[in-house]
Amino acid sequence: MSTSARPTLEIPDDHWSIGLLLICAAIAAAVISPLVWVFWQASQVDLEQAIELTTMSQTLGIIPRSIALMVSVTILSMIIGGPLAFLTGRTDLPASRFWTITAALPLVIPSYIGAFAFVSAFGPHGEFTDLLGIDVPTIAGFWGAVLVITLYTYPYVFLTTRAALLSMDASHVDAARTLNATRLEAFRRITMPRIRPAIAAGALLVALYALADFGTPAFMRLEVFTSAIYWEWGFGNIEFTALLAIQLLTVAAVVLAIEARVGREVKPGASGTGTRFRLGWLRWPATIALAFLAFLTLVVPVVIFGIWLTRDPSVGAGVAFRPTFAINSLYLAAAAALVAVIMAVPVAYYAARDGGILSRLFERATYVGFAVPGIVIGIALVYFGANLMPALYPTIPLLIFAYVVRFLPQAVGITRSAVLQVDERYSEAARTLNASRFGSFRRVMLPLIVPGVVAGGGLVFLTTIKELPATLMLQPAGLETLVTVIWHANETLSYAQAAIPALVLIIVSGLSMLIIIRQERYHVT
Amino acid sequence: MSPEPPISRRTMLAVTSGSLVVGSAGCLETLGFGDPDCDFVDQADTSTAAFAWDDLDDLEGELIVYSGRTSDQIYPIFRCLEEHYPDFTVRVDWGSNEEQLNKLRQEGAGTEADLFYSQDSSALASLAAEGYTQPVSHDVRDIVPADIRDPDGLWTATSGRVRAVQYNTDLVDPAELSDDIFAYAEDDRYAGRIATRPNSGSFLAFIHAMFDLHGRDETEWWVESMVEQQQVELYGGGSNMARAVADGDVEIALGNQYYAARLIENDPTTPIGLEFTRNDAGALFNVAGVAVTDAAGNASLANETVKHLLAAEGQHFFVRVNGEYPVIDGIEYVGDLPNPDALESPRYNLSQLIDFDEVNQILTTYNMRV
Repeated sequence: MSTSARPTLEIPDDHWSIGLLLICAAIAAAVISPLVWVFWQASQVDLEQAIELTTMSQTLGIIPRSIALMVSVTILSMIIGGPLAFLTGRTDLPASRFWTITAALPLVIPSYIGAFAFVSAFGPHGEFTDLLGIDVPTIAGFWGAVLVITLYTYPYVFLTTRAALLSMDASHVDAARTLNATRLEAFRRITMPRIRPAIAAGALLVALYALADFGTPAFMRLEVFTSAIYWEWGFGNIEFTALLAIQLLTVAAVVLAIEARVGREVKPGASGTGTRFRLGWLRWPATIALAFLAFLTLVVPVVIFGIWLTRDPSVGAGVAFRPTFAINSLYLAAAAALVAVIMAVPVAYYAARDGGILSRLFERATYVGFAVPGIVIGIALVYFGANLMPALYPTIPLLIFAYVVRFLPQAVGITRSAVLQVDERYSEAARTLNASRFGSFRRVMLPLIVPGVVAGGGLVFLTTIKELPATLMLQPAGLETLVTVIWHANETLSYAQAAIPALVLIIVSGLSMLIIIRQERYHVT
Repeated sequence: MSPEPPISRRTMLAVTSGSLVVGSAGCLETLGFGDPDCDFVDQADTSTAAFAWDDLDDLEGELIVYSGRTSDQIYPIFRCLEEHYPDFTVRVDWGSNEEQLNKLRQEGAGTEADLFYSQDSSALASLAAEGYTQPVSHDVRDIVPADIRDPDGLWTATSGRVRAVQYNTDLVDPAELSDDIFAYAEDDRYAGRIATRPNSGSFLAFIHAMFDLHGRDETEWWVESMVEQQQVELYGGGSNMARAVADGDVEIALGNQYYAARLIENDPTTPIGLEFTRNDAGALFNVAGVAVTDAAGNASLANETVKHLLAAEGQHFFVRVNGEYPVIDGIEYVGDLPNPDALESPRYNLSQLIDFDEVNQILTTYNMRV
């Protein structure tokens, strides 16, 4: 948001802007199309039932609990993700690339694995109590859910903030320091305004994720708003499910509006030069903190799987692991990331540069799919696919579309904050040198926002690889991925058989992160 | 910043070519189970059964199954059928029972499924009532007892299971346990020690049956008392609950026999035992079963497959491999549970399990929900 001008509804008159507007409108329309089904289903509920359902959710107190969960998780994620981004992106932390990967990896661990591992590891009957011989406390209830969701979603804040720090011109900070500003002051006045949209973009994703998550609260035996959605789903009351999803969306709309206010003001900078902050002796506590976090988020589940694997000698008798599972997962995730990035760039660019009502509306519209539980998007696309597009149902393109609907905002948010950081004068300069609008976009803007775009694609990749509800619903029969195999093992109570695919999921995603981060570094250094 | 950045194109190429390479390598393959043990096919005693595989038409072609059952319970028999009939293939879409039910409703005539395989008769009865299924052939209707199939054959049971009382054998003396489901809501001895899982199809069927067998007032009283007086612990997953019983977090749980049996199978020393109530909804005999979809592209193949599941070999599989009850007369039950005859399940026609609005209302009123 530019502070000077209020947003206006202006219809552009040049080809470039009209083209951009139409493309963005089409993308927004495509990703909110499942909502048509949601509203149509919800409209089947008669008024009396609707009121009953609403009062029920009030008496259960699940809306305030969901909001409290969301707020707590969001604040904690910023407290963890922000400093980690600074540590790995702006300091001389030893092995910073390694720590970047370990700090980002929790994102690939599905909540039904993470939460399950925590429930199994802690508590008086937990594996850790057995292993260590001392009583470790139970992780459950509200704070258990806050802890676990935070540990597996803070990477949103970490990755968005890190991308912003990397593309920020840190020589401004040096300049401020030469002008006798303290480190804190330089951070507050130079760095913070530049990375604030990125932090807000990451925090928004965390908030919406926490709001729409079902798996973790279920494991922690915490009744939240999504519990009500799944409850009605279990009864096959699809129209109640839809109505509750719309209630959830209204909460999400408030969150989106808040983020739209704080996340826009920005001081543009340029490429990422400038000195790195020297940690000195602080490098050790920093390293220990990172190692502890990696232990909690990554080692705990791996150890739990390892224990199961050694305990159950019959592994391999049931679901045998096949490389195809990993290949299918990688293929789907890469395709979803690619499509999401292609769709995110115009929407993010338009939203960051135009400032009009339409561009902002299109950008906000992409978040809708993220704020609704996956089963709702999945079942909406089942309806559309089977009844309106039988040729596409059930096919891989439709499944990839479902991923894009769910995860596009992850790429949009981070790309938008990257565009906001680019000084508009660069593009103007290119145009005075007779570059076309598209030419200046491609040759000036695109290279500058690459870290953001790559990080956005990475986020979509990592979350797609762990996506379960829409995958189960829309996968062509016979197509199994790492998560569906983990789900099978979980369903059949053969947890040991989840161990290998879960380890492969972590390793494959870790390697993919390595590739993503290399792309980002190539540009920056 | 360099004026001609090589990176954007390189990045795009790397990402694009990466996904293309992976794409060409990623062919569709079925779930990688090891080769199942098909010995049960030869071991089945075909002399007392209505029919055996050899009496039936050969299976030929591709059958698409939507499964709400878990893979371990049905994949082996489908694999063995594929082995038995070289021209027969099965493609299974796996999912939770509720998911498949919702999906079949949304797909309507556009469904790919020939056969819906459900772990719970209420999903089958609901789909049948809504017109999404078609009748199975008369010879199937003739051999499956009327209580556990649709009167017109719009769905049929394939195997049985029973609601049970799970208890921790270290903490609970079986003599303490009642054979009356209402005692669990009334008796102080169980207060604070008992759990159940209210979101399973099996539990909802149990409440529905209680409603039909014992009336609304009794049912409401039971739910209210379980919550208010007995402080029932509510679990969201059957395996978590059985685990909690085994760990002693909770001493007694009302659930399916299946989960406890599974824990014992994994580790025979697990301190979990089973008891059954008598002649009330607490010992409801419920079934897993199948329905041929109304839109089935290959209804005759689906029908013939159903007969194979009900034949001696199929029933033998459910009993021997799954530890379930047979649903056809003349099949011997072997297993750790009481014999079907010794089991005192109430007489209850499972086709009644269609409208759950009142069940939902009662559970919501007293907040017996997760």
